[in-house]
Amino acid sequence: MSLERRTHDEGERKDPSSSSSSDSYEFTHAASKSAVAQICETVGYNHSKDPPLESLTGFAIQYILQLGKSATSFANLNGRSQCNVFDIVLALEDLSCNNNVDEERVSLDSCSALRSVKLREIINFVKLSDEEEEEGAFIQTLPRFPVSDNKVKGKMVVPSFVEIGETPPGKHIPLWLPAFPDPHTYKETPMWVERGLDPRGDKIEQARQRRKAERALLSLQRKLVCRISSGGDRVWGDMDGGVKGEIREDESEVTEEERNGDGLSVVEAFAPVLEAARDGGFSEVDAEWKEKKPVALSKLRTVKKFLGEPLDLTLQMKGEDRAMSLREEDRDDKRRRAEFILRQCMENPVDLNQL
Amino acid sequence: MNQGQQSGEAKHEDDAALTEFLASLMDYTPTIPDDLVEHYLAKSGFQCPDVRLIRLVAVATQKFVADVASDALQHCKARPAPVVKDKKQQKDKRLVLTMEDLSKALREYGVNVKHPEYFADSPSTGMDPATRDE
Repeated sequence: MSLERRTHDEGERKDPSSSSSSDSYEFTHAASKSAVAQICETVGYNHSKDPPLESLTGFAIQYILQLGKSATSFANLNGRSQCNVFDIVLALEDLSCNNNVDEERVSLDSCSALRSVKLREIINFVKLSDEEEEEGAFIQTLPRFPVSDNKVKGKMVVPSFVEIGETPPGKHIPLWLPAFPDPHTYKETPMWVERGLDPRGDKIEQARQRRKAERALLSLQRKLVCRISSGGDRVWGDMDGGVKGEIREDESEVTEEERNGDGLSVVEAFAPVLEAARDGGFSEVDAEWKEKKPVALSKLRTVKKFLGEPLDLTLQMKGEDRAMSLREEDRDDKRRRAEFILRQCMENPVDLNQL
Repeated sequence: MNQGQQSGEAKHEDDAALTEFLASLMDYTPTIPDDLVEHYLAKSGFQCPDVRLIRLVAVATQKFVADVASDALQHCKARPAPVVKDKKQQKDKRLVLTMEDLSKALREYGVNVKHPEYFADSPSTGMDPATRDE
């Protein structure tokens, strides 16, 4: 008898239900326990002790499980995957202990389910319960379980081909299977280069450079006013020599990439400044300049290509005017300033990148 | 031929009764909720979209539990009443489901349930000191 096997199964059933089903085990067990207690109350019991109630709950659960298992196997024997009422009736007969086997079992002639004793008993039971009109329904409301893990744990449920609306690649793949992942997840497909944010970034960069240029220009104007009142051509000559000397010293240290990368934008930014420098003259301004933008000066080599001629001419002019001693002094001065700027460059590589 | 016709008619009647019964199942709500039964049936591989079949299983289980409980109740009522001190006190005022009654009831179904009366520390607890040495 299949019922005889169940004495120790109750305890063992709890262990295999680890992982996902252990979460629902306690809940379903508690729910079935309260349902069984309600049935006992309907029968006539006022109270019950816990161990017999637990045992009875276990038996009820095992009854359902065995019914399902037998019904499924009967359906599978007949080549079906879904069960019908005859499978359940056969399973009921299988689980019951009928003493009058010969007379009242399912006969082969009629093949009717109602020949089954068990089913008739159940029908009578339902009629009785209906007639009594007691509150037989489950008192508490059960939430819909098992709770889907989609929202709780964030598991991705892969939709099937049918749900997506795709045709599977190949006739051998049925539609109800999960769909294949999108090709961009495992292959390199051409990308749409999104440049949405770049114009804004470019504008910001341009505005910043313009502001710096304006600041330099203002200070230049200030110096011009001072210098023009005191000196004259001397200012212009000093500036050029200093600039050229320091360019040579700086360029050896500064990388090529920075020069080439921002060359064009720097040219645009400093065009007004350089034009002003061409027109006027400044000596100490270049030191300030360099403190703010040491790398920019290194790019003046490219700038020279564009503005070229005027700077060279002034250089020639300078060579004629100055005395040797003065030039050497200026060179030392410029060299010291260049070294200072180089040290600053090394200390603050971030500033370089910002440009 | 006659037998065949009769059996055919009986079959139709039976089928009609069966469909009527299944329809009546929808009116009657079993004590065990549908969701719970569906969960356990799914666990055992039972696949059916029809609610009536699930209700049939629920009703069958309810009948099984009710049968066992009523048998236990019979055993409980059949037990000799305790000494009645107060004349107002009745015999069956407290109907409690105990393990004794349940095991007696289940024995008829072929299930052996034995509840230990107490739990001991070791197998030799409570034995005579003479036999314990052995």
